[in-house]
Amino acid sequence: MTAKSMTVQAFFVLSALADAPRHGYGIVGEVVELSQGRVRLKIGSLYGVLDRLAAEGLIEPDREEAHDGRLRRYYRLTEDGRRALAAEAELRAATARVVRARLGLTGAQAAG
Amino acid sequence: MSGNLERRYRRVLRLLPGWYRDLWQEDMVAAFLDGWLTGDPEADEYITKVAGPSSGEVASVAGLAVRLYLGGAGAPRRHFAWRQAMRRAVLAVTLVQATRGLDVLLLTAWSRHLFGWLPTPPASMVVATPGGIFPPAVWYLVAYAWIVAFVSLVLRYYRIGQVFAALAIVPDLVWLVQGQFTGRLPTPYIGPWAFWVLLSLCPVLAMTAFQRDAPVSPRWPWLLALPANYLLVVVPLLALRLTGNSEWVPDFSGLYCMLVALACVAHAPRAWSRQAASSGVWSLTLFLLAVDAGAYRMFSIADYLHDPHLITVSLAELLILVAAVSLVAPDAARAQAGRSEPPPYPRHV
Repeated sequence: MTAKSMTVQAFFVLSALADAPRHGYGIVGEVVELSQGRVRLKIGSLYGVLDRLAAEGLIEPDREEAHDGRLRRYYRLTEDGRRALAAEAELRAATARVVRARLGLTGAQAAG
Repeated sequence: MSGNLERRYRRVLRLLPGWYRDLWQEDMVAAFLDGWLTGDPEADEYITKVAGPSSGEVASVAGLAVRLYLGGAGAPRRHFAWRQAMRRAVLAVTLVQATRGLDVLLLTAWSRHLFGWLPTPPASMVVATPGGIFPPAVWYLVAYAWIVAFVSLVLRYYRIGQVFAALAIVPDLVWLVQGQFTGRLPTPYIGPWAFWVLLSLCPVLAMTAFQRDAPVSPRWPWLLALPANYLLVVVPLLALRLTGNSEWVPDFSGLYCMLVALACVAHAPRAWSRQAASSGVWSLTLFLLAVDAGAYRMFSIADYLHDPHLITVSLAELLILVAAVSLVAPDAARAQAGRSEPPPYPRHV
């Protein structure tokens, strides 16, 4: 995963699973929150991303829970997924630091 | 409670392959309904009556379906084999187009005396552009665009390859449409249309099989195939033309048939031995190329209706192609009928 660049959708899905296992719609909601509303995954897109991440060994099924008569399947990060996410986050943070420096922004200005 | 809304979404999910629905349908339905239902019985009753999957939701399922049918992550082996074969066939057709581009590039360089040690080329060797509304520069760019498309696909810059190939097929289409409407081209003019559909449009559409999760093709063999194809195929044909033996040079459709037939014959021992793991995918690739070449040959015969000799030659080429592809067809059938591999997730976690 580190050899290939990670898509924005994959990055946010992995980020959504960073602190706890989540089910399908839980991931969608978490991605909206993490991205401040900029990434809204459709269900078909979500499952496409989950397929790819599972095939790459970055996520795996966690458990099933019954809710309103339906089974919800939860997903969690694997150790490889955790490493790939950490590497991608570090890359993005480093890029952001360079861009802020080039723009002459301090941390407060960038946040404001 | 969720009756109508759920029914509408399940109808959309029918776009997905059956094996995928068996695994994920309930999960997807639950995730979809979670996004709509509020937990308030009155509000939910109203929502389930009037709401339905948005066009974006339908498009996302359709996109997933296309990816799965083309053998994306987790697809059964037969889809995977088809997708692999389709990618190789697209690379092969793009290689053919890129070789034509390389021919234009080298002949142009020759006619402009960039190879000082070669004599001035005869008039028959100068590149002739089709004309129409586009200046010659556009046709040169089209030829070079195929080289860029081929190299980009091999180097895994799939989007760049797709964009260049898509741009490269536009001038030909404009030229054909303009020629038919202005009467510049005879009617019927099936051969060039067949060329455009089978060797330009189809490969560009099939380039959807090149996605991020696609298994990669080895770079060097494909990159070396471009100069090798030029030296082994184009140069001997140029030599025939230069030595006044043009009658031995087949038309492009015939050449395409013969090259695919030769490749089938060369691959046949491997296909029959079944020792190499990827033999079946190559057999399937050759089968796809044979269908493409055979269809082009059949359609282009229409342009030779005035000449019984050319019709006989074309039919002979078709016959040779059918005989050659029948050598690898059983192996191709085994590859595409391959049993499903275990799904990437357990059915029950």
